[in-house]
Amino acid sequence: MRAEFINPFLQAATEVLESELGSAPQRGSIGLQRSAYTSDEVTAVVAVTGEVAGMVMFAMTENTARAMVSKMMGQDFPEFDALAQSGIAEIGNVITGRAAVLLSEAGFPSDLAPPMLLVGRNTLISTLDVQRLVIPIETEMGKIEVQVALKVSGAAARRAA
Amino acid sequence: MAKVMVVDDAAFMRLRACKVLQDNGHEVVQAENGADAVRQYAEHRPDAVLMDITMPEMDGLAALKEIKKFDPAARVAMVTAMGQQAIVMEALRAGAKDFVLKPFQPDRVLGALQKLLAA
Repeated sequence: MRAEFINPFLQAATEVLESELGSAPQRGSIGLQRSAYTSDEVTAVVAVTGEVAGMVMFAMTENTARAMVSKMMGQDFPEFDALAQSGIAEIGNVITGRAAVLLSEAGFPSDLAPPMLLVGRNTLISTLDVQRLVIPIETEMGKIEVQVALKVSGAAARRAA
Repeated sequence: MAKVMVVDDAAFMRLRACKVLQDNGHEVVQAENGADAVRQYAEHRPDAVLMDITMPEMDGLAALKEIKKFDPAARVAMVTAMGQQAIVMEALRAGAKDFVLKPFQPDRVLGALQKLLAA
């Protein structure tokens, strides 16, 4: 995992969550993990392709997910229904999109696949040989863990060498 | 009051935009991808279009070009999380009149709409 991948995701997540939720989130200790990710109750997954490739995951409890979409839409979501799921997937999409713009400015242009949502705790997701950068973020609605598993493409790595 | 078409594959984002627009007295038509937008534009002839870029079936740039072929006077603003210069330039060349960056900000959406309607 390249160190220059940290700031784009940190900045994007902070900006987007502050704009969407109306209060500044707090960052926890950033870590690197190689072992498989064990899913939380709700995980938005966005695949990245291009000069950097891999996936970005946004993990949270269902309570946090419902609280976030309730705040964003200005109405209560007592169930984590299809509309609420669409909202959480879109948050992942927007944060990753903002980070992709910042990565592009840093010389790593990339594109995104449509977001997916994993609902249910304790599924193991292995990113195999790609380490995951884990950024815990505390919001007023609860914790979101941003997991970034990206590697530089062969062409970009050769140019940098 | 204007008739506005909101195009986004994310249902949450469509409904959120609809809510803001309707609360401000506008009539809203929804489309869930580019192909749907082209069909609905011909049917409803909205005064303005807020168009997401990354969508299945037909993306926002392709839909913008189709709509401009059908109606060169169409007033379209692109709404996207991806603000790379190449995409912005291509959309502007294809006739987009404004660009709205996500995350969703009601004032920015209403401002873009005002700009479109004044064009």
